Amino acid sequence: MHVDLLGAVLRDPLGMTGSALLGLVTVMAILAPALSGYPPDLYTGQILSPPSAWHPLGTDSVGQDIWSRLLWGARTSLLVGAAVALISTSISVIIGTTTAIFGGLYERFWMRAVDAMLAIPPIIVMILVAAYLRPNLLVLILLLSALSWPGGARICRAQTLSLLERTHLSAAATFGAGWRHIIRRHILPDLTPIMLALTVGAARRAIFMEAGLSFLGVSDPTMVSWGKIMQQALQFTYLDVWRWWLVPTGLALSLTLVSLSLLGFALEGAMDPRLDGGQRHGDTRSSHA
Amino acid sequence: MSAKRSVRGSLANYLLALIAIFSLNFVLPRMMPGDPLQAIYGQEALVAMTPQMEAALIQKFSLDQPWSSQLYAYISGLFEGDLGYSYYFRDQVSAVILGALPWTLILTGSALILATSLGIVLGMESGYRRGGSLDRGLIAGLIFISGFPDFFVGIVLLLIFGVSLGIAPLYGSITPYSGETGLAYLLDILHHLALPLASLVLVQLGAVYLLTRNTMVVVLKERFVLTARAKGCTDRAVRYRHAGRNSLLPVITATGIRLPQLITGALFIEIVFSYPGVGLLLSTALDARDYPLIQGILLLVTVAVLTANCGVDLLYRRLDPRVRHAR
Repeated sequence: MHVDLLGAVLRDPLGMTGSALLGLVTVMAILAPALSGYPPDLYTGQILSPPSAWHPLGTDSVGQDIWSRLLWGARTSLLVGAAVALISTSISVIIGTTTAIFGGLYERFWMRAVDAMLAIPPIIVMILVAAYLRPNLLVLILLLSALSWPGGARICRAQTLSLLERTHLSAAATFGAGWRHIIRRHILPDLTPIMLALTVGAARRAIFMEAGLSFLGVSDPTMVSWGKIMQQALQFTYLDVWRWWLVPTGLALSLTLVSLSLLGFALEGAMDPRLDGGQRHGDTRSSHA
Repeated sequence: MSAKRSVRGSLANYLLALIAIFSLNFVLPRMMPGDPLQAIYGQEALVAMTPQMEAALIQKFSLDQPWSSQLYAYISGLFEGDLGYSYYFRDQVSAVILGALPWTLILTGSALILATSLGIVLGMESGYRRGGSLDRGLIAGLIFISGFPDFFVGIVLLLIFGVSLGIAPLYGSITPYSGETGLAYLLDILHHLALPLASLVLVQLGAVYLLTRNTMVVVLKERFVLTARAKGCTDRAVRYRHAGRNSLLPVITATGIRLPQLITGALFIEIVFSYPGVGLLLSTALDARDYPLIQGILLLVTVAVLTANCGVDLLYRRLDPRVRHAR
């Protein structure tokens, strides 16, 4: 179980491509203010202007610099992805390990909740709630996290159950170790690869859903988001502007998502050397939004 | 766990999920600050409302009563099939949705059939030639495409074939006011369906393909395949009759898991192509803040997804006796 996971991922061609793409987007997001000459919401005085030295991707229908909106959009996407991934994976691990250890009514309650939540596509609940709340960034992150954890909890529970069968855990329990100690010292280290895979999957789904909701126009209108940029740009396909407005934004979103799925494939491959080239895709309920 | 109990258990899950969505529909508008009637029907609707209509609606939802009577009014309304009234379309919500539903069914139905059959055939061929150039090319290409968000795949196809090449229509499901009948009408429908369908199939294809291919690779190592070869079966027979047929089972289960993605994907694709199905309707309702219509559509989609999953669950148990006895 204890393998050099990161090394394996980076040696894998899929994993390498994925990390390179994700690294590129991250650099774009971090350096956004330095790379763009304008704040994303500034009215530049020109509407729908083609690309020029001042505006590398031209300006949109309300006169904002598209290149700088693209960069700041990367910030929103990555922030949502990272935050939701951390929160939802933590919930998955906590619920998954504790239900496996405690069992009983506690376990039955949570596993029933998990099964029921897995039956409904989260995007539907998100659209419904967002239609009323028009969530801002923080609310959006919390909502997405609240809907994103059940698949991971089930996986963590199954893994913990099989770990509990091992002799070193019975030994620890015999020596009087409490459940907190067992989780922290004996279970979490062995869950690390799974946690990594869950993080990547949750980040991908969160970025996709944020873009989808913004594309539908039900997120906070002041948020700079790739989905919202695409929604605006889609209304102008009869002009040439889609070349530098719609296509680069869509590509940025797609490449970010692709980079995360490639990383996911590479992680799965590294965790289970028997698989080659992305086996088991579509096999878990949590693999996609 | 016995088979009967696990069937009942999974039915309970679907029922719980359904109750959760109903409760959300009931609680959300009543949790909003301000006038609940405004939250139920949306601000725009209230402007057009006469005091008599307002009084009638308050009476209908029991909004002047405690929440228990409101819940009773809500549930009894649902049992009568009353989803409310859409102020934007000035018609019953159920009638508005029914008008859009056929287009969505055509789109999702044909996408399901096409993506599944194409994915299975490609997966079997690819798994059979594991490591060959066809296999590697398909894997790389489909992993890449299936990572794309569905609406951007739709946008790319729209820009290439609709905007740049001009060989496909940009919006709608039929040419308006053309008055075509018979074969010409059918061709017109197919012409409009082609791009939305292609985008949906492209996004869905990857999952079916990968699953079939990988199952195929495993099945080909089984000993009955060797037996089939030894007794002189043709290559084709080994590929499809022996290995292929035995690779189908996981694909069927995965179909149930893919259905929610297919349905929600269709919602987005319809918006890109202004295809007049339920998805476009949802987008219109969201823009107009027509809350009864939003709730009605999402309720319908949820019920569709739950029913489909439940059906696949039961079907799977029938198809594979091992599932009935395992657990």
